[in-house]
Order: sequence, then structure tokens, then C-alpha cells
Amino acid sequence: MFVKPFGYVRVASLAEAADGLRESDGGARVLAGGQSLLPMMNLGLLDLDAVIDVSHVDEARGVTEDDGYLRIGALTRHREVHADPLVTSRQPLLASAAGRVGSSRIRARGTLGGSLAHSDPAAELPLAMIALGATYEVTDGAATRTVRADEFHVSYFTTDLAADELLAEVRVPTLGPGWGWGFQEVSRRPGDFAIVAAAALVRLADGEIVESRLALGGVSERPLRLGAVESSVTGARAEQLEERIGPIAGLDPVTDTSATANHRRHLARVLGVRALADACRRAEEAA
Amino acid sequence: MSDGRIDVSTTLVVNGRRVTRSAGGHVTLLRWLRDEADVLDPKYGCGEGVCGACTVLVDGEPASACIVLAAQCEGSAITTAAGLLDDDGEPSPLQRAFHEHHAAQCGFCTPGMLMCAQAMLADGTTRSRDEIREELHGNLCRCTGYQHIVDAIEDAQGAAR
Repeated sequence: MFVKPFGYVRVASLAEAADGLRESDGGARVLAGGQSLLPMMNLGLLDLDAVIDVSHVDEARGVTEDDGYLRIGALTRHREVHADPLVTSRQPLLASAAGRVGSSRIRARGTLGGSLAHSDPAAELPLAMIALGATYEVTDGAATRTVRADEFHVSYFTTDLAADELLAEVRVPTLGPGWGWGFQEVSRRPGDFAIVAAAALVRLADGEIVESRLALGGVSERPLRLGAVESSVTGARAEQLEERIGPIAGLDPVTDTSATANHRRHLARVLGVRALADACRRAEEAA
Repeated sequence: MSDGRIDVSTTLVVNGRRVTRSAGGHVTLLRWLRDEADVLDPKYGCGEGVCGACTVLVDGEPASACIVLAAQCEGSAITTAAGLLDDDGEPSPLQRAFHEHHAAQCGFCTPGMLMCAQAMLADGTTRSRDEIREELHGNLCRCTGYQHIVDAIEDAQGAAR
């Protein structure tokens, strides 16, 4: 752990951080919780002139409810998202996903915005956001724009953020009446990145799926929403999911030290079915 | 600053002792404690926040000191395993439980295990063995002496109640 030295700048606002990013001309990165950035620095995967520490910025932290949405500050920590009463009651899928990130140490420091901006294709939170149809508010200090989660996450560790932009807020639709949710993952050990993860939402009427959303992580360069599978389960009851869902097309998994591409394809279907079945069960229970 | 190093003066309250040191802004809390402040109980294991050997409490919350910058912690209270000793230098009930249950083999993971356990005891929840294991999943013991560690924590939380 003999890292190449870099500078440290603490800022008091996101606007100040955006200024710092512009001045650094690409040499600086934003340090939020640091639970991904600092391991990358320790491993020599990044070469930076400086980090801009936003972890003491208060303006982008906390959860509020706003007419069908939760507004969550980008600097809200995983542990806070996991335990927040608004999140656990209004969008329990997100609370569950946040509780699966790393260990209790990582959840105590790591931030929602940090994980999303890091955009690991196997991470739980980008997957949850794409399944939920979240939007992100990003700012360059002067102007703010809104980006859909499925457009923000571009590829491996690559997002739609411009060099001088930061994630400020996440807007997550709340779970509507009649809906249930499911989240399934397989990882080597608890707290590891998922090999494959699945997030599902289902709305039932008379025990049959009327509407559904299914997204998978770990099977492509970014989390994928699976519209074809969603269409194929319309009208199905929970016990019919196995027969309705065939091999999932359009995945592009890699073979690495955790799993082969074929294993990932297998897990994609198994976990997709289980997540949808869990969602059906919870929708039944809520009815 | 040809090598990119920019020194930052940082003051931390380490195990109740106020310590001010100047070090590069890139220096992690772990290196700051070990190299600048001579606090040697947190250990360097993986450098990725995975193994838990460097676990300390920052303002009461568990943190991997290898993936936190010292400068980020300015003004914070840091507790390491040595900080668990009472005023007379006697081991805390948790440390005694580790001793009695032979929860340290080679000892390398022990300071991190103790701090993870201390965070568990501090939140007031009485955990089952499975829940203790769940909380410990971010702390690796390469001697694989987990049974004794879980025994010790179970015992200590019973004693603390």
C-alpha cells in the first residue's frame, strides 16, 4: 500500500467540488465515502493528482418524500438508506439492496451517489435504480439536469456524468398499491459483489401478473432491464413463472475468476424467476 | 511538490489522546495511525477494505482504516483495540472473553475482530450466533478460528447485558 501521493481538498458544497473538478482538468476525482475509490488507489488502478472530499457536505444528504417519489441526497450513506423509515416503508426493494452492499463498515461510510457514480456492473444499487425507473439530478454547480438511471449507467465504471458534474440527488418512485418486490443475488461470500443479481417488481390482479419490471446485474457491461421477459410473464401466476420464462436472450456476460459466462446465463434465469416469484408473494401478502 | 505530495495537518483523538501530525493528504488513516502516531494495533491486511484487520471505530462507527484518509477524519475520535483497556490498563470484558475463549490464534485479525465486536456490543442488540457471524463476515481470520471468536462475542454480549 505505497500509493503514489496525491493532494487532498475538502469542500463545503457540491458547487465548490464542481469548480475543483474544472480546475483540475481531469486530474481530480470526487471522494465521497471512498469505499470504492480508495481501494482503487491502493491497488494502483487510478492515477490522480488530487481527490476532492465531499463527505462533509451536508446539502445532499437525507431522504424526503415528494408525491410518489423519494428524494434521496447523493451523499446519504448505505446504512442510512437501508434503515430509513421512508425507504423501508415506501420502497423496500431499495432498502434491501442497500443492506446487501459490502460489510457494515462499508455501509457506514459508502454513499448512494458514490456507488452509482462508480457504476460497477455487478453492484446492487445501480441495478435497483434501473429496476425502479429512478432518475438522477446531476449538477455542475451552476446548472442541474435530470438523467434516467438506464441512460446514466453507460458501461463498466462509465457513466453519463461530464467531467465537471456530480450526482446531487436520486429520485426513486415509491412502491404503488398492489405491487410486490423481489431481490435475489448469488455471490461468493456475503457482502461480495454479486456474480449475478436480479431485481423485480410485480403488480397482481386476482393472482395474475398485470405489470412487471425485471432487471439483472452482473450479466452485461451495465444492469439491464428485460422487457421481453416482462412481456412474457404478463397474465402468469407465480407458479407458472418457471414455464413462462425460457433462456434469457440479449445477455452479454463475461467469464472471469468468479464464474463462467454460461454459469452467469444460468443464474440470470434462475434468479430472475426467483425474484419475480418473491415479488408475486409480497404482492399477495400486501393485498 | 514534484511527487504530488501535499501535507495536511490532522488532529485526531486517538484512544482519548489528542494527536496532531502532518502527513501527505493521500495518507490513509491506517498509515497515519501506524507510521505517524505509533498506534500499532490496527493491522494492514488487504488494502481494499475486505479483510477487516484494520477495523477501528471513527466516532463510534466501524471503519476500514486502510480505505479512509486520515484527513477525512479531522477532529474525529478514533478507537483501536488498545483503547478498549480500562483506565488501569486492564482488559475490557470483551477482551477478557477473547482471552478466556482462546479467540486469538496468530492474533493478526484480533484487533479488527475486537473492534467489529465492540461495534456490535455498542449498538445494544443481542445477537444470535448466526447474526454474530453475519456481522463478522467482513473480518477474515486466516487461522479460521471463527468458532472461538463467535463464542467470545456471544459470551461478552451476555455479560454486558
